[in-house]
Amino acid sequence: MTGTAAMTAPATPDRDTRAGLRRDARRERAFFLSLSLPALLLVGLCAMLPIFWILRQSVMTLRGEFTLANWEKLLSSALTWKSVWTTVELSGATLVLCMALGIPLALALASAPPKIANRLLILVMLPLWTSILVRTYGWLVLLRRDGLVNQALTGTGIASEPLALVYNFTGTLIGMVHFMLPLFVLPVYAAMRDIDGNAIRAAASMGASLPRTLATVVLPLSAGGIRSGAMIVFIYTLGFFITPAVLGGGQVSPVAIRIEKVMSTFQDWGQASALGVLLLILVAMAAAMLAAARRLIGRKGKTHA
Amino acid sequence: MNLSRCLPSAALAMALASPLAAQTLTITTSGGDYGAALRDALWAPAAAELGFEMREDSQSDSLAALRMQVMSGAVSTDVIQMGSLEAAQAATMDLLEPLDPEIVDIDGLPEGARNDYCHPFDSYGTVMAWNTETFGDAPPRSWADFWDTETFPGRRALRANAQDLLEIALLSEGVAPDEVYDVLESGDGLARAIARLEELKPDVAVWWSSGAQSTQLLKDGEADLVVTWNGRAANAAADGGAAGYTFAGSVIGTDCLAVPAGAPHPEEAMKLIAAMTTAEREARLTDHILYGPVNPAAYETGLIPEDRLELLATAPANAGSSVYSDPAWWVAHGQEAQIAFDEMMNR
Repeated sequence: MTGTAAMTAPATPDRDTRAGLRRDARRERAFFLSLSLPALLLVGLCAMLPIFWILRQSVMTLRGEFTLANWEKLLSSALTWKSVWTTVELSGATLVLCMALGIPLALALASAPPKIANRLLILVMLPLWTSILVRTYGWLVLLRRDGLVNQALTGTGIASEPLALVYNFTGTLIGMVHFMLPLFVLPVYAAMRDIDGNAIRAAASMGASLPRTLATVVLPLSAGGIRSGAMIVFIYTLGFFITPAVLGGGQVSPVAIRIEKVMSTFQDWGQASALGVLLLILVAMAAAMLAAARRLIGRKGKTHA
Repeated sequence: MNLSRCLPSAALAMALASPLAAQTLTITTSGGDYGAALRDALWAPAAAELGFEMREDSQSDSLAALRMQVMSGAVSTDVIQMGSLEAAQAATMDLLEPLDPEIVDIDGLPEGARNDYCHPFDSYGTVMAWNTETFGDAPPRSWADFWDTETFPGRRALRANAQDLLEIALLSEGVAPDEVYDVLESGDGLARAIARLEELKPDVAVWWSSGAQSTQLLKDGEADLVVTWNGRAANAAADGGAAGYTFAGSVIGTDCLAVPAGAPHPEEAMKLIAAMTTAEREARLTDHILYGPVNPAAYETGLIPEDRLELLATAPANAGSSVYSDPAWWVAHGQEAQIAFDEMMNR
């Protein structure tokens, strides 16, 4: 469309052509914008509105008057800060484990022949097709006191008595890493697969050892994928509820669990809303920090080059 | 086909047959198997006797549903089944009609269970359950034993909620059942109960949050000593788990029937409540579900078989050392108690 418009525009005054082009470009932008309108509307209605409603509710009494009492109660309670800390701890530990397990896995996938890599990828994806509830209860069966893992450990004499693998932080972490690992591996694998093989060959031909090649070529070139993977893992896990609820046994209470508790035992919607907003702030802060880290690394990358 | 043509005429015939035009009352229960049991044993026969037509509604969160109806001024339900604690909360919010003692026999109930707004009709006990493989012939017998981690070593599982546990903590220290709320009401009663729970905390492996979870913990042997509801403990045993339990020192909770403020037919609703909670009907309810009658006369009807009796929290043989959970205390102090409990759990 743009093409024809530009062609039929009078050839001479050059300025008119440019104005026409600009006009067309504007129209095109408006057209594309209108295409995204339904999605924007949906996000506005289903995501933004409820958030505003929660925000409003966090500063309201039951009778609908303005109050800061919910926030005062929340911010002055040691339980809140403990749950914020538990949330960050859980997400951070999940991220570290996902990186430690996921980067080598992605590397192996990326360096395998395409046919094998595809099959392995299906194995990585498989857990994503199972409901989180099923997977979480699956871990319960495996990790409990007379579960398979403990039976194997005590049967082979590695442990003299059953280990406390579930209904605590450890069990929650295992469940969360299991859930998030595929979501971390996929972007990292995509980034590693796109690395130009010549760059690796060049490094090798210049005598770089494998660890050195990894550190100076592969990892920097896949940093984008690792970053998006890390972003997904950290932010996604900040709001995790089912895994700590089932595998934490009441010993692990991140913000999401606190929200449920405040709602179910105190029927205190105002304070639960305030907690929800606090969680949102936490997510926003994490996103901002990751974005800042990205800019910082990006700048460092440029001075290198 | 035939049926649909038949029904209106049957209703019409009944309306003509009864001296007054038949009233249509709406009852709201929690639905499911429990709701069906309430229908079959309590309200369907009671309504037939009184000549009321009935409409059934089910709500999982009775307090929220009640609040919504009363606040919006569109009360459609005449009788609502609630947990006694929710009912006490509702009463403080002026959501319930006070019951007429002339119609509903409030004084016939055991002392701890009496309520002016919501008439208790069935009960469950929060009990001590244990793994019979761990303890064999010498199981713990009292809450004091539950706290005695030397004689009865093992992993404990408690509900992640202060309800019933505060009462149990005091019972374990030797407070008499009828003095539990006096102690809790006194200055340091709450702190004393919390401190007692904190004492046990190192041996608590799991703080459970759903009844099903407590059954699972007991059945799998994940925990050796579990505080749970009698129905859940019975389930664990019935499913082949090595589980035993005792009603000694159980904390009894009740469900009750109330009339929403502004209900369309308050007087008929109270008559229905009275007819639903007769000794015979409450006794019959135990054919459907293991919830013990609150009306003491139900145990004198002889309608409850021996092997059922021992499974009911309020049966005369079981209730001797029990405490009726006091909704009034919980409405007044619940918030404070739950916060103290949460802080203890997270310390």
